[in-house]
Amino acid sequence: MTASGNPARILIVEDDAVAAQAMAEAARDVGAVPDLRETYEDGLQAASDGAYAVILFDRMLPGGDGVDAIAKVRAAGSTALVMVVSALGRAQNKIEGLEKGADDYLAKPFDPDELRARLRALLRRQNMVALDNDVIAFGDLEIRMKARTVHVGTTHIAISPKEFKLLSYFAAHAGDVVTRMQLLEKVWNLHFDPQTNVVDVHVGRLRRKLENVAGRPIIHTARGEGYVFDPVRAAE
Amino acid sequence: MRLRPSRSASLRMTLWVASGIILLSLGAMGLQYRVTAQSLEARQVETLRADLDAFAALYEQRRIVALREAIEFRVASPPNEQTGSGPDQVLYLLMDRETKLAGNIPDWPDGLIPDGAGFATEGAQRFDFGGVSYLGVARELPGGFPFLVARAQTDSMATLADLRRLIGWVALVLSGGALLAGWGISRVVLGRIGRLNALADQVAEGDLSARLPASGGYDEFDVLQDHVHNMLDRIEALNRATHRLSDAIAHELRTPLNRIQQRLAALPDADQQAEEIRAEIRSTIRIFDALLDISAAEAAHGQRPGLVPVNLSELADEVFELYEPLAEDHGLIMAARIAEGLWVLGERSLLAQLLTNLLENAIKYCREGDSITLSLSERDGRHVLEISDNGPGIPQELRAQMFDRFSRAERDRDRAGHGLGLALVQAIAARHGAKLIVPEAAKGFVIQISCPKLDPKA
Repeated sequence: MTASGNPARILIVEDDAVAAQAMAEAARDVGAVPDLRETYEDGLQAASDGAYAVILFDRMLPGGDGVDAIAKVRAAGSTALVMVVSALGRAQNKIEGLEKGADDYLAKPFDPDELRARLRALLRRQNMVALDNDVIAFGDLEIRMKARTVHVGTTHIAISPKEFKLLSYFAAHAGDVVTRMQLLEKVWNLHFDPQTNVVDVHVGRLRRKLENVAGRPIIHTARGEGYVFDPVRAAE
Repeated sequence: MRLRPSRSASLRMTLWVASGIILLSLGAMGLQYRVTAQSLEARQVETLRADLDAFAALYEQRRIVALREAIEFRVASPPNEQTGSGPDQVLYLLMDRETKLAGNIPDWPDGLIPDGAGFATEGAQRFDFGGVSYLGVARELPGGFPFLVARAQTDSMATLADLRRLIGWVALVLSGGALLAGWGISRVVLGRIGRLNALADQVAEGDLSARLPASGGYDEFDVLQDHVHNMLDRIEALNRATHRLSDAIAHELRTPLNRIQQRLAALPDADQQAEEIRAEIRSTIRIFDALLDISAAEAAHGQRPGLVPVNLSELADEVFELYEPLAEDHGLIMAARIAEGLWVLGERSLLAQLLTNLLENAIKYCREGDSITLSLSERDGRHVLEISDNGPGIPQELRAQMFDRFSRAERDRDRAGHGLGLALVQAIAARHGAKLIVPEAAKGFVIQISCPKLDPKA
């Protein structure tokens, strides 16, 4: 998946075998090569030595806390994106992890689909060439970042600032499955699991607005997983 | 609570001790005063007796004539420094019934009644004459001759007045000294006690690691400080252990749940049932998170570390925007009245959770057509967040324990939930030093969260 064509390498530092296996599978599913380590020291060593696109770090590992490893990994010159996957899964833990430099934080138990979606998002970010294009176009759908407007052809679609933020996040991950939890975290900056389908309501509104003008689905539902923004895909 | 020197026990104690000492010294001085007064009087009586003895001797020889001559002689002789002879010092008078025979005053003093006939000092009387106080004997000698010899008490009274003034000054200086000493001692004691009290307050506010600098001495205050420090060390260690335990519980229970979930995903045909099990796992985790969040918020109760300035107006707006469409989908009317630019010291994610819990509750329990209002305003120097609805409200019998964990109304048994939402709201409010007020509402449910305000410019 990298620019050179070699598959991306993902380092997994996890002491629980079942979790590690699930992580490795998710990594393979997104087209990357997993590399497993079981202890904090081994993980840190591997992270410093190898060129990884993404590192999955557990917390409460034998030998240390993955969150503390982030600074060391960075200091060793690694450009890998770090995702903490931990049983310390409360909002407070997540915020602590993100503040200490984690690029993403996933609580255990995790849904393999959720992990896949997040790995894809991270890999995409790793490969993303900073586009300073003001206009992002998907066929006839045009998103103007500075003006914060959306057009289909020449028709302007009136959307709220929050909806624009939501659309921008979708656009940045076009073609990938984006989960509800990801949206709540990235668009609303909320780090807990609401009891209601509050995210679906927002996605539903945006989706209807886009679909009404475009005349075709723009945001697709990935059943059980989340949503896929794919303006050029035909209706299922 | 600040200690005031006026209410200090050490001040009271010092004043008690000082007033005891002052009373004792005043008593001693009073005794001395009495002794002095008595000896002065004795001396006066002595002088009087000398006079009387002389007169008695003369009277023995030649009766009234000698007495008259002697008095005339004394009156005529120049004033003597010690005994004196002026009427301001000594009075002599001898009369023959109504007529004066000899003496240094023209007439018998008013109100003075002659008593007895001898020359003894017994029966000496005190009387005032011409504004001066005298001690003397007034007799009627045989044959009807009133006779008076008296000595002025001016000197001894002046001496006693000086002594009284001295006692007064000493009492004043002693009382002043006692007050000053009491104030000084209580300041010193309050200073030491005040530091310990400040430490206790700091700990009560949640800063378990607060300690006082070692003072180096080993007096009773240092011992007390050591004891308090030891106690705090122990509490801190226990607290840390509790935190580690809850982290460990989280880890140890989530790991097996994670395995279940991964195995579920690996099932060949993940069907409806697997989806349901996954939902159950999520729900279990949610209870678990809520419980841990409640304990964490309670443990951090009132602790300032970890709190940052949060724009509550902005957050309320965001959460309102997030839930408004959901409420609309449920056929509810949701409105917001949010004052701009209100800041609090808080944890954004906890405050967001408080808001979402209350809004989700309102959305969950209200029926189509009901309305929900979220308002934020400044009232009496606090920021008051109010969520009100005109839904079914809370059953009267549940009002008392609505903030308890796992308390749910019987009528809501069929609805999803675990009765942790309001418990978490309460813990989060407490974490932020906010007061929860649930006013009695005629219809629906009203809850107010009154947060201490933060001036963003400060």
